[in-house]
Amino acid sequence: MVTRNTKSWLVLLIALGLFGLGSACSKSPESGGNSNAGSTAATKKFVAKGNEGSIAGVVTYTGAVPPAKKIDASADPACASKNPNLETEENLVKDGKLANVFVYIKDGTLADGSKISAYSFDVPATEVPLDQNGCHYVPHVSGAQVGQKLKITNSDPTQHNIHFTPKNNDDWNQSQPNGAPPMTHEFKRAEVLVPVKCNQHPWMKAYIGVTKHPYFAVTKADGTFEIKGVPPGSYNVVAWHEGPGNGTEKPMQVTVPANGAAKADFSFGAATAGAKSSLEMMPAIEVPMAGRH
Amino acid sequence: MNKGLHRFTLLVTGATFFLLIAGALVTSNDAGLATSDWPLSNGQVFPRMVGNLFWEHGHRMIATSVGLLTIALLIYLLLKERRPKVVRLGLFALLAVIAQGLLGGLTVKLNLPLIVSAAHATLAQLFFCTVVGLSVLTSAGWQRERETVPEKGGVPLRFLCLAAAGTIFLQLILGATLRHSAPWDHYLPIELVLAHIAGALAVTLILGAAAFTVFRRYPNQGYLTNPAKIALGLLSFQLLLGIAAYLTRLASPTDPQPLNPMIAITVAHVACGALVFATAIVLTMRAFRVLRVSAPAFELATA
Repeated sequence: MVTRNTKSWLVLLIALGLFGLGSACSKSPESGGNSNAGSTAATKKFVAKGNEGSIAGVVTYTGAVPPAKKIDASADPACASKNPNLETEENLVKDGKLANVFVYIKDGTLADGSKISAYSFDVPATEVPLDQNGCHYVPHVSGAQVGQKLKITNSDPTQHNIHFTPKNNDDWNQSQPNGAPPMTHEFKRAEVLVPVKCNQHPWMKAYIGVTKHPYFAVTKADGTFEIKGVPPGSYNVVAWHEGPGNGTEKPMQVTVPANGAAKADFSFGAATAGAKSSLEMMPAIEVPMAGRH
Repeated sequence: MNKGLHRFTLLVTGATFFLLIAGALVTSNDAGLATSDWPLSNGQVFPRMVGNLFWEHGHRMIATSVGLLTIALLIYLLLKERRPKVVRLGLFALLAVIAQGLLGGLTVKLNLPLIVSAAHATLAQLFFCTVVGLSVLTSAGWQRERETVPEKGGVPLRFLCLAAAGTIFLQLILGATLRHSAPWDHYLPIELVLAHIAGALAVTLILGAAAFTVFRRYPNQGYLTNPAKIALGLLSFQLLLGIAAYLTRLASPTDPQPLNPMIAITVAHVACGALVFATAIVLTMRAFRVLRVSAPAFELATA
């Protein structure tokens, strides 16, 4: 016999269940912040005219630099032995200059009025290196064009797994024991930036900016960068730096003259607290229930 | 009543609880993809268990052991158990542990899609609940003759207990989904956190209502009051663990690696959640065992 009170309890239970499942299946808003100069189908092959210029600059870090955090690598004696002073690489600052910032043209217009996103670009034959050395990735931040091959090597006396966790590309995870031959991988779609991690050594992180064009650079130890061969035009140049959440990006409008150089200096750190966090663009669940993380 | 069978069922239950903890350690250490192989690890049966491969391959070894124990349990049931429903539950346990193993393989092969990971974690709880049920059914206390007690009050206690167990199970699904929605270095999605908090509120209300109904209506029935007391105690501890787990997870994205306090607390939260569920299952089974109305609506396997 089911009384009215019992029915009320059952209705409450079902409602709670539906609420829970609904919440689990809800989708975070997608802002599409990962696109870059290639959000529309490229139709014309880009041909250099010989009047290309460049974009160069320095990335500085203002304010107190958060100290690097010590990593406990004792879970793998090979790591602890080869690299006993492992630390986080989030803020590599020397004399106020910030390394490992990915700078790229996000979108823009060439001098002839055409959009840079309307062009396709040759894919370089050179492979982009990504080495696991001392139980950290070298380089920590790099860039590649869509379709360009990454050459993944393991220089450590221990096993690793290389795990790309992109949003717009396919998730890819592959074990690479010590002594194994190099592996290659390429990305099919532009994405800034693709996180890389090792699930065997969870402190190991790297980032790869994938663009449709070759107009990107990563700042060196002295904070400088240079993007060469840029066709004259006006561009939205973005500098991305890893940090809390999924990093911070800073945009800048830059005009490149014919055969000239444009300057683009960026600044990160405490004074840039208002900068847009990429966290807003990369919700934790992009495709709930079917998505990957 | 076969003492050996009951003891073996308890062994399987204990091993399953240990396996739950091992699985939770894999998630908290972000070790689920420490190898891209399955069922082997890096092509080996016994790889060098360093780094996070210790957790992932250790979990696989314990899972294999539990699978073998479950096969042995079913054989034991077929030989010694006379109640067909109990044998069928043993068969269900074996099918569940096989499905669980395949889901575990899928999590690796598909690179941890949320729905598969959450299903793997949920089925783990269901399997644990099944072996807990088998432990209850094979116990001397269950098979002893007992006087039935009439249901009192407006809401039948049996339904209340069933609702509590069902709500806890939904909360476990939510918890599994929340836990697998973001690794340690990403912030948890706030909508899932809120849903899990709402689930905790619902569990507290319904399990609390069931327990206090037991205390009010059947204060002298230790068969019912004991699991009710344990459930309330575990629930209180679980709520504290939940708050602590949230705080440590809130901090973990800025940590250089998964740190021990976060790992210990989140794993304890998973384990305690399983114990709350198990206790609610025991309470529900016992309520159906001894409580009767004039026209019983539900029956469980009894002696």
